[in-house]
Amino acid sequence: MKRRICSVSAVVVSLALVLLVWAGPAAAAEKGPIKIGILGPFTGALAFNAGEMKKGMELALGEVNSKGGLFGRKIELIYADTEAKPDKGVAAIKKLITRDEVLVVGGGYASSVNIATSEVADAEKTPNVVAIAISPTITNRGLKYVFRTSPNSPMFLTGMNKWLEEVKKPKTVAFFMENTDYGRDGEKIWSEVSKKIGAKELAHLYYEIGDTDFTTQISKLKELKPDVTFCIGSTTEQTLIQKQAKELTFVTQWIGVGGHFTEAFFKMSGAMCEFAMGSSLEPTLNLKNPETAAFVKAYEAKNPGARPGIFSSQGYDNVMVIVDAIKRAGEPSGKLQQDRDKIRDALKATDIRLSQGLIKFDQTGQVVTLIPSAVQVQLKDCKPELRIVFPKELATAEYQAPIPWDQRKCK
Amino acid sequence: MSPRARVWLKWALGAAALIALPLVVRDRYFLHLVVTAGIFVLLASSWNLLAGYAGQLNLGHAAFYGIGAYTSAILATKLGITPWLGLLAGGLMAALFGLMLGVPALRLSGPYLAITTIGFSEILRLVAMNWVELTRGSLGLYGIPPFTPIKLGSWLEIEFRSEIGAYYLLLVLVCVSLAFFRRLTVSEFGLSLKSLREDEIGAASIGINISGYKLAVFTISAFFAGLAGAFFAHYQRLVSPDTLSLGETFAILTMTMLGGLGTLVGPVLGAVLLTFLSEGLRFVEDMVKLDVRMIIYGVLLIVTIRFMRGGIVGLWNSLRSAGRTKD
Amino acid sequence: MESLFLQQALNGIIVGSVYSLIAIGLTMVFGVMRISNFAHGDFSMLGAYAAVFVLGIYPGWLGWVGSILAAAAVVGVIGLLSERVLFRPLLDRWTDIDIIMVSIGLFLLLENLAQLLFGATPRMIQDPFAGASLNLGLFSTSVLRLFCLAFSCIVIALLQLFLSRTRLGVAIRATSQNRFAALLMGVDTAMVYALTFSVGVALAGVGGVLYGTLFAVFPTMGAMPTLKAFAVTIMGGMGSIRGAIFGGFILGIAETLGGNYISMHYKNAIGFIIIILVLLIRPSGLFGRREGA
Repeated sequence: MKRRICSVSAVVVSLALVLLVWAGPAAAAEKGPIKIGILGPFTGALAFNAGEMKKGMELALGEVNSKGGLFGRKIELIYADTEAKPDKGVAAIKKLITRDEVLVVGGGYASSVNIATSEVADAEKTPNVVAIAISPTITNRGLKYVFRTSPNSPMFLTGMNKWLEEVKKPKTVAFFMENTDYGRDGEKIWSEVSKKIGAKELAHLYYEIGDTDFTTQISKLKELKPDVTFCIGSTTEQTLIQKQAKELTFVTQWIGVGGHFTEAFFKMSGAMCEFAMGSSLEPTLNLKNPETAAFVKAYEAKNPGARPGIFSSQGYDNVMVIVDAIKRAGEPSGKLQQDRDKIRDALKATDIRLSQGLIKFDQTGQVVTLIPSAVQVQLKDCKPELRIVFPKELATAEYQAPIPWDQRKCK
Repeated sequence: MSPRARVWLKWALGAAALIALPLVVRDRYFLHLVVTAGIFVLLASSWNLLAGYAGQLNLGHAAFYGIGAYTSAILATKLGITPWLGLLAGGLMAALFGLMLGVPALRLSGPYLAITTIGFSEILRLVAMNWVELTRGSLGLYGIPPFTPIKLGSWLEIEFRSEIGAYYLLLVLVCVSLAFFRRLTVSEFGLSLKSLREDEIGAASIGINISGYKLAVFTISAFFAGLAGAFFAHYQRLVSPDTLSLGETFAILTMTMLGGLGTLVGPVLGAVLLTFLSEGLRFVEDMVKLDVRMIIYGVLLIVTIRFMRGGIVGLWNSLRSAGRTKD
Repeated sequence: MESLFLQQALNGIIVGSVYSLIAIGLTMVFGVMRISNFAHGDFSMLGAYAAVFVLGIYPGWLGWVGSILAAAAVVGVIGLLSERVLFRPLLDRWTDIDIIMVSIGLFLLLENLAQLLFGATPRMIQDPFAGASLNLGLFSTSVLRLFCLAFSCIVIALLQLFLSRTRLGVAIRATSQNRFAALLMGVDTAMVYALTFSVGVALAGVGGVLYGTLFAVFPTMGAMPTLKAFAVTIMGGMGSIRGAIFGGFILGIAETLGGNYISMHYKNAIGFIIIILVLLIRPSGLFGRREGA
């Protein structure tokens, strides 16, 4: 038994030594690059969308660094993977803040993750500029270091809600939501709208991320025949829902947030997603805006054959807002907390036109100037494309009501 | 120096190194990793008690972890109960569920038990996802308070908001738990567990109360996993249903198998090694955009069982005994 | 209301037929070799990816049928390899923990290697019937879904014929009933093991193509079928093929009806609740022999 104790303590001592060596001295960066941390679900179910975001960010990074960076120093983006899980996100942002000692944390995708990570950033007094996440909770808790460069869900849905009230006026609605706060926040907003226009709520159904079989829910919806079905979810689940709705010949006006209208979604679902609606700041629909047009041109030049989607545009803007704030805050002195505070103050005064439009923050750090329009998937030569149907002054097409499956020409 | 003194010296050195660690290393992220490793030490050691000593293959260990975390988090955020009580409550609640899971385990073994325990943890994960009023669903519970500071007189206050405070608290928890496991496994109780593992019918025939022992070991193992969960809740200050996922269980069992199933040191070694290994792999992950960690876990699990059955401890022992015969 | 019930039952039968197909492989492997293979569903995933690649070259319904054969072949060979390299050396030691750990290791490896090789973005298997759907008054479904149902029934029937009418099939069944007796009767058990494992996972591979056709193909798709197949297998009695067939349909129907009438949230828990009930009330399963549990 003694021998055993010996080996126990020997192991403990040697482990402790190994750990000590491994830790090493954390080298203080004097005049290295200016470091910005970027969170995102780079692996896992949302990896594709996070990749889109990253492409936009890399574009912004290239533009800044090719002009010599800031204060003669290069900008460096340090990516950290959240795997779209809150606890992994917390570990990732802790790494960015305490190990990499970044000045600002940008990026972020998925509301559940950002609600958790923004709290860490605030506790660590590090500015956190959230790129893509729509839950109002992120910016309405009075956190002093948290900003968001994309619309929250009430803003995101303003255009769509007006269209529901003024044009569509559905009599019956149903809800089929991803069981996350992304889904549940939207559900709350649309439930209020439904009450306002006197529409009857026939059902509230949910599914989990990663589910593949939606036939039970769709069969139930089909029995209830709602005029409008609100359905919030990400690309994969939305594609499967469209596919299974077709197989079960269920017809409804699908309305989503619009985040799922990605290249991958159109590629996988093809003509099946005809008539589906959502809200969008889709850059390719907004080419009248010179900043957007410039972004689209630069993106297409850098990624030949690819079409910039909303996430690329939001990623691009996110990095540009951060860079702009660092520039206005003055050259980082190397005193981390002081620099971070200066950048936070500079972020508050943000006033810049970018690919999504004018970006300005309100008291809570929420961007206030972006209002998305209502878009619908319509077909051109049996290929799906997005068209703005509301508001009238921006519309590129008339709204088309869904028709039964056997009358649709495109397969 | 007498052998006794040498043993004491080694222990003292080990203790000094562990106590000095946060004073020497000021890198907060490194301390965060050590704390993470410490949580896994608790989880792997308590799993090992069930699987390694008693031969009960529980594949739902993360459920106990999650129960402990949610219990303490809910008590603190909804009822304002201090995390110190929550720590105990988390462990006790998990122990209660452990007792409940022990009941079907009386009649089941091997794959049947494995599946039942997976089912148990998956059902609880679904509850955590869907009982939104209590758990806030997939959003998770955030804003969990850290352990409240301890005031020693008017001049000294120990706080647990930082990594250092958490490190010392966890160090105490881990040391007490390991000491308890050691006492337990060398006691009559531990020997009975082993006989249960080796030959259940034989153990019963020599008068060992199989049912009692099985229930007890499930309860004890769950208690310590729950304790780890409650600590985690107030350290991370966020609990989400992912805490209960199968992935966590698989990580726990890989650590234990790699270190050495059925040994005291094995799970400790496995937990520390794999926590730091996965951190060291981050740069590879950045290159291939993938959770390489799980590939490594898979390979390690297969290689350990195929070629290195006793894990690292087994390998070490056989190397040492080989060395001794040469002398 | 009636039509909704029928519609849900049909949805359940279609999914259930695929569960049966996947579960049969799992139960065969357990019956003959006492291996609880937690990587079983990942062989379905491999089969589904094989189909995606074949269909990339030969689209249309001929390609679809061809892709099923290709999936069976590819997965069968991978199964043969993993039996030889991973499981057979363990079989003489025969402890449940070791075998289950290796299969969990294989699960982690296959799932994450697939992410590395194929990426996380899901792929769709093209519908060879161009999405034609049938409206039969009381319920509707697509030609493809009916085809999947028919196909899994045919494969199950062929397997039954193989097991009851061929020498190899009889050898497999004999080994499953009593491997020592089979050895004494001159059955080459090593060969039977290899064959059983390979056929078992090939069935999972075929099931994977159907599963992928009904839903989508992605690296983590295997976990769900594995858990469902275990639920089915325990329900029917581990090692019982008849039990797996019925169990699959029962689970499929219980899930859709339970999801519709009880709670959509806990649809995926229904299988586990059934397992726990079955194990508490009748541990040998509905069709199982009394042993083991």
